Amino acid sequence: MHTLDQTEISNRVLAVLEKRFGDAARALTADADLSDTLPGFDSLAALEYVNSVEGEFGIEVDFVGDDVRHWFSTLGRTTEYVRERVEDMTA
Amino acid sequence: MTYDTLLRSSGVVSGESDLWCTYAAVRTLGWLGRVGDLPSPETAAGFLASRQNSDGGFAWSAGMSSDAWATYYCTQTLADLPTSSRGTVRASSSAWVWSAAHPDGGFAMTPGQASDVWATYYAVRTLVEIFGEQPPPALFDWLAALQAEDGGLAWSPAHAKGGASDVRACYYAVTAWHTATGGEGPLPWDRERLTSWLRGRQSAAGGFTFQEGDETDCLWATFRATGALSRLDETPRDPEGCVAWIRARLGPTGSFTRWPGYPVPDVWAAFCGVGALRELGAELDDLADGVVETVLSFRTPQGGFTYRTPGLASDVLTTSAHLMAGRLSETGEREALRWTESCMLPNENGIMYMPGRGSEVRCTLWALSAGAFEEDAPARARIAGWLTDGIQNPDGGFGYWEGRASDIVSTAAAAEILHRIGGDSVAGHLRDIAEYVASCETAPGQYANVPGGRSTLRATLQALRARHRAVGADGALAGEALARHRVRGGGYANEGNRVPDLLSTYEAVLAADTFGLDWDSGHLAKFLDSVRTADAGFAWTPLMATSGGPLADCLGRRLELRLSPERHTLPPLALS
Repeated sequence: MHTLDQTEISNRVLAVLEKRFGDAARALTADADLSDTLPGFDSLAALEYVNSVEGEFGIEVDFVGDDVRHWFSTLGRTTEYVRERVEDMTA
Repeated sequence: MTYDTLLRSSGVVSGESDLWCTYAAVRTLGWLGRVGDLPSPETAAGFLASRQNSDGGFAWSAGMSSDAWATYYCTQTLADLPTSSRGTVRASSSAWVWSAAHPDGGFAMTPGQASDVWATYYAVRTLVEIFGEQPPPALFDWLAALQAEDGGLAWSPAHAKGGASDVRACYYAVTAWHTATGGEGPLPWDRERLTSWLRGRQSAAGGFTFQEGDETDCLWATFRATGALSRLDETPRDPEGCVAWIRARLGPTGSFTRWPGYPVPDVWAAFCGVGALRELGAELDDLADGVVETVLSFRTPQGGFTYRTPGLASDVLTTSAHLMAGRLSETGEREALRWTESCMLPNENGIMYMPGRGSEVRCTLWALSAGAFEEDAPARARIAGWLTDGIQNPDGGFGYWEGRASDIVSTAAAAEILHRIGGDSVAGHLRDIAEYVASCETAPGQYANVPGGRSTLRATLQALRARHRAVGADGALAGEALARHRVRGGGYANEGNRVPDLLSTYEAVLAADTFGLDWDSGHLAKFLDSVRTADAGFAWTPLMATSGGPLADCLGRRLELRLSPERHTLPPLALS
């Protein structure tokens, strides 16, 4: 299985956000809070975001056990979460 | 009834903009030619844009499903705002409106629901005035069937057969016809009988009431009556008396109040007062400054409007939520309950969401659950009468308010109220509720919010609770629904079994208690940990870090109390 590096994961997560939020997502920094930075990033958008990331990387998020509001609050944290999940799957 | 409690408003304020208030404010400014007085209209547009769903329709609040009511108010208000201020709104289309078209020629508030004249009016105005399209030809047959034996028009053809004419139904039907035809097409009703019925609603004092038998004239009814008559090229029986009655509603601040004795000017009074005078061709210039100044003082920091000065704009849901969460002092509780009990229209015996608005079933349940009218048996009897004699639909179900087509949320709320206060005389009405609930069954033991909708956990559990209150229901079906939607890590999901939310989890525990089913306290505790926020509030889902507001905080707190050693009972609430 192809191992994903941090940059590739980050680019693919950013592409997910760009698809939904367009220009507003393009300028995102790794530690910017998504709900503060992206207009309309409400609970519904957050759910779509998590689902899209799941589909993009073929992973499944535990919505209660994984503290999604922490891991999916910034681009950097999402990238870290995905990296660990992908590593778990390949281990 | 006196309304002094409303003067200082001892209920609890949400501080949020309200969609209908925002529409009424902007429309009033528009009628007075004063939209230019609105500071930063782009913030109002931003508030409206936040109500748009991905299906293109709009919802009353973020996260709810689109409906015709919200879609009309949002699209019309946006159209009233200066073009340059609408930048944050996504392109919209008429497709969502057409999705709520009914084969009978009317429109439903949400797809799959029965047609009613509220929804039909909103859909027709949105299609014609916003999108430049025409409604289906079958609309006119549907409208024609609204005329009741007394000559007035009713909420639906089925209501017309029962003879329930209402001034609002007349206005919505006549305006839908007028909008679709430009007032040129053949009138689908007996003009003389309709005009006569409408004129008969004007009192000797000059104002109008909604229905035969109502006792208090109000601006809302007066506006709708004058509007309906105007579209028929007719006038009230006493036009000068009507103008004088409307102008007598102007208060010391220079804006309008809703009915004689009501102490507070609000956005709905301004909308109805200006609207009615406009329909009557009366002078507006001399009162414009006072109305504009008052209306503009109702803006909230969110960019939209609430119904009165924001610091005093309490609402029943927020107030009830604070009461049930135990967030008020003993004195505060007493004052809040007294304020809640004053939130009744003169001619309707349910409790309103906000003072001066129509009575609503869900709000009435929340208020009663919070303790309103606990020691006032006559008031409780009036509420039961309002439900059974006033607003139960011919299909046995209930809508959010009078004349609105039935849905499971409102029907479950009504069943809980009748169970709580109805006594023996409501048994027949409860059986009718069971009939409506049956029409929402999508598969054995699974229910949707409206006939033809998708089944969800909440609709299923609300339907089973309503059946339980009405004719008894099998707890095993509730147990099966809970098993289908139980999220492994904690909580319950409305759809599937992956994403839990607070409202579904509350409904799940409430249903389990109602049917005497076992549930796992550790499973609930884990879920509550996932939605508890840093400020001791609760988020609607584990996805959000901030409180979902007073209603979410109330539900979370009540679940905590259910988990406490005292095992406090959950109030049987229905929200969405």
